[in-house]
Amino acid sequence: MKIAVCVKNAVDETELKIDSGGKPVLTGAVTRMSAFDKNAVEEGLRLKAAHQGEVVIFTVGPPESKKTMKEALAMGADRGVLVAGDPTAIDTMRTASMLSAAIKKSGPFDVVLCSEGSSDAYSGQVPPMLGEMMGTAFVSYARRIVVDGQTARVERSLEDSVEVVEAPLPLTASVVSEINEPRYPTLIQIMQAGKKPIEELNGDQLSPAGGYRQASTAAMSAQHSARKHIMIEGSLDEAAVKLVDALTKEGVLSK
Amino acid sequence: MSPEVWAYSESEAVSNEVASAAADVAKMSSADVVVVEIGANRSGVKAPGTKLLLKGPAGPEVSPEVAAEAIARAAKQRRPAAILIGATRNGREIGARLAAKLMFGCLSEVSRVASDGTTLSGERNAFAGKVVAKVECALPAVATVKVGYYPATGSSPQGESEVDVGAVQALVSVVGRDKKAVGAVDLKSAKVIVAAGRGVKRKEDLPMLEDLAKDMHGALGCSRPLSSDLGWLPEEHHIGLTGVSVKPDLYLAIGISGQLQHTAGMKDSKVVAAINTDKDAPIFQASDYGIVGDLYQLVPAIKRALAARR
Repeated sequence: MKIAVCVKNAVDETELKIDSGGKPVLTGAVTRMSAFDKNAVEEGLRLKAAHQGEVVIFTVGPPESKKTMKEALAMGADRGVLVAGDPTAIDTMRTASMLSAAIKKSGPFDVVLCSEGSSDAYSGQVPPMLGEMMGTAFVSYARRIVVDGQTARVERSLEDSVEVVEAPLPLTASVVSEINEPRYPTLIQIMQAGKKPIEELNGDQLSPAGGYRQASTAAMSAQHSARKHIMIEGSLDEAAVKLVDALTKEGVLSK
Repeated sequence: MSPEVWAYSESEAVSNEVASAAADVAKMSSADVVVVEIGANRSGVKAPGTKLLLKGPAGPEVSPEVAAEAIARAAKQRRPAAILIGATRNGREIGARLAAKLMFGCLSEVSRVASDGTTLSGERNAFAGKVVAKVECALPAVATVKVGYYPATGSSPQGESEVDVGAVQALVSVVGRDKKAVGAVDLKSAKVIVAAGRGVKRKEDLPMLEDLAKDMHGALGCSRPLSSDLGWLPEEHHIGLTGVSVKPDLYLAIGISGQLQHTAGMKDSKVVAAINTDKDAPIFQASDYGIVGDLYQLVPAIKRALAARR
């Protein structure tokens, strides 16, 4: 079974600085593998363990994205494909179109996996767009994937229900974090990851830009937090009574 | 002919919210509101404009794959200026599929949706809620609309029309559906939420917090580690970026450090109180009231204080 897993080198939101004007500082921001992508890599590795084959990691981004690629390779993936493109022109449609072109060029693949959304932008647009562009069956929010022959049985985690669907291979799917517990690479795996092959492709040549109207971010500002930040002190029971009194005054405790 | 702003959700309740958003956008850009139905009209779906029934697929329950294809075919015939979809999980799939099929730009999970007649814009959270981003796209465009932001429209339809989109072949077939244990917890409508985090040492200690929630006529929620990693509570208790977003009157965070992934799901709460042993825990930055202390001592003390108040 050939399995493609798409990962993103995302801005680490926990390290993101806000400047004095209330704007996020994205230039030089700390990046890391998007948090939920580890679940997609893990699921790819589990499918390989059950069906043999190969796990290939795909990412779109600047050369810095190689560190995220290497992290996925250290977890156990076989090789990587890094798609470079003009970063200022990359939105979700562009990302999906470059990924699909690269996956088709390196394929065919039986299963293409993504996480449901990136931990930085969390628009969740790329996986369904990729499914459409691949022309395969697409299933979102998978919490369990079982492949039997040429059919996948997938449990989808929805707001108030779990839906079971069947789809033919090749399949493109997005996974939720409850699907598995990602493994931690060992030191030896981390060292070996450096020797695994990473192919570099030119995204602009693979898939010409244009043809649609791009969505863009017009402005960004820090979320305004109007919290009171009152720290309650005193002995155990004093603090508890003060808290209950404060919440009663706020009118948020029902009688 | 005036341009059209379409509204669709596979959920009846959300459909009425999206119709309100569409009515807002239509008013700003002198457009008409069109509420889309697939396969069959649903009596619970209101429309501050006309209803458009897409005939072909057997509905009204259709998969996101079928919904996206049906709407895309109808859009190619009628050329709406904007298509708004409720940002449920299914709706987010529909929106992104539509954008790819129609080669439109797409805005995700936006509130304050607006249009000047040439662009569609909205506001959304980015970087786990640390940042508010204003996003925009030239028309025609697709947007998924944040659930729970717009009030449901009350208007009844001012006319109906139909468009035949033909039969839609689907690759993915639904073979079963299990309702999650609803009724066990309804965090969306709870006025008070007591939320447990990694500060809780053992699963056996959760009933203590559940009791506190009961004393406050509230519901028990948790941060991601307790549901997704440890499996101590079902996933529908998970509050955060990838879980449920809540806005109760009171959010009491107990033993929760307050990572952005968590606060993204509770930052709209009216009043937030937090208990944590670490005085530098980020949850205190997201709180109105904080107590630094051991939850195993403080929870019983709060229960005593609540009892004394009655």
